Amino acid sequence: MDWLEDELRRALARENPPDGFAERVLARSTRGALGARRWLAAAAMVVVAAGAGGAWRQHQGYLAKREVMLALRLASAPVHRIQSEIRGMTQ
Amino acid sequence: MLIGAVETGCDFRGLVRQHQAMVFSIALHFLRDRATAEEIAQEVFFSLHRNLDQIDSPAHAAAWLRKVTAQRSIDEGRRRSRRPQVALQDVAEPAIGVKPGDPLLCELLRKLVAALPEAPRMVMVLRYQEDLDPAEIAAALEMPVATVKSHLQRSLAMLRGKLARRGIGESEWTG
Repeated sequence: MDWLEDELRRALARENPPDGFAERVLARSTRGALGARRWLAAAAMVVVAAGAGGAWRQHQGYLAKREVMLALRLASAPVHRIQSEIRGMTQ
Repeated sequence: MLIGAVETGCDFRGLVRQHQAMVFSIALHFLRDRATAEEIAQEVFFSLHRNLDQIDSPAHAAAWLRKVTAQRSIDEGRRRSRRPQVALQDVAEPAIGVKPGDPLLCELLRKLVAALPEAPRMVMVLRYQEDLDPAEIAAALEMPVATVKSHLQRSLAMLRGKLARRGIGESEWTG
């Protein structure tokens, strides 16, 4: 075995991290996982709220459309009656 | 995650305890800064925790940790490279009389390795800390095997020259 390589192995031997390292990693990972779950829950709530808002707006549009159609039908009834009277007179 | 851990043998707690010295030491020997090395080691394990579902065996976990630690350490080294770096040839000769097996020789070698450019430095750390062969180092660092061998040969030659100038050579070990 080469002397320099032997010395390099000795110089670059593994060292343990400071005390409590593993505990700090595990605590941070747990906190991170909980944080990620909270963010997911918040994001899900935003999506649901946005969806509900969209559905409510769609429903309001449907009601407005129905009222417009009813108004048009009511307004067109006298016109139809006059048209048929004119048709009867000309015949 | 529990089922995955049972199936793959990759229990996160166990992986941290088993590999903490490896991860910490790669960063430490590359950067020569204990606080930054611990920070990087924590980030690496945190990243492993997020990607644990992609790990399919303990051997895969070890290789993954080695690779990610090397990458993070190199990134950190680059981030610091705005600071002036000292080339290996320019490292000041410590006024100490080192002998074979002397702890001061270990410290001198660590300093000389730390003064290498980033690629050969990481190659040396993986070779002599982790005892990886050139093919394993090439896989970890995503570089050709020939490049790894070249870095090793050139770095060793530079270190020998540097030590020889201090009167440290093979004769101290053989005779």
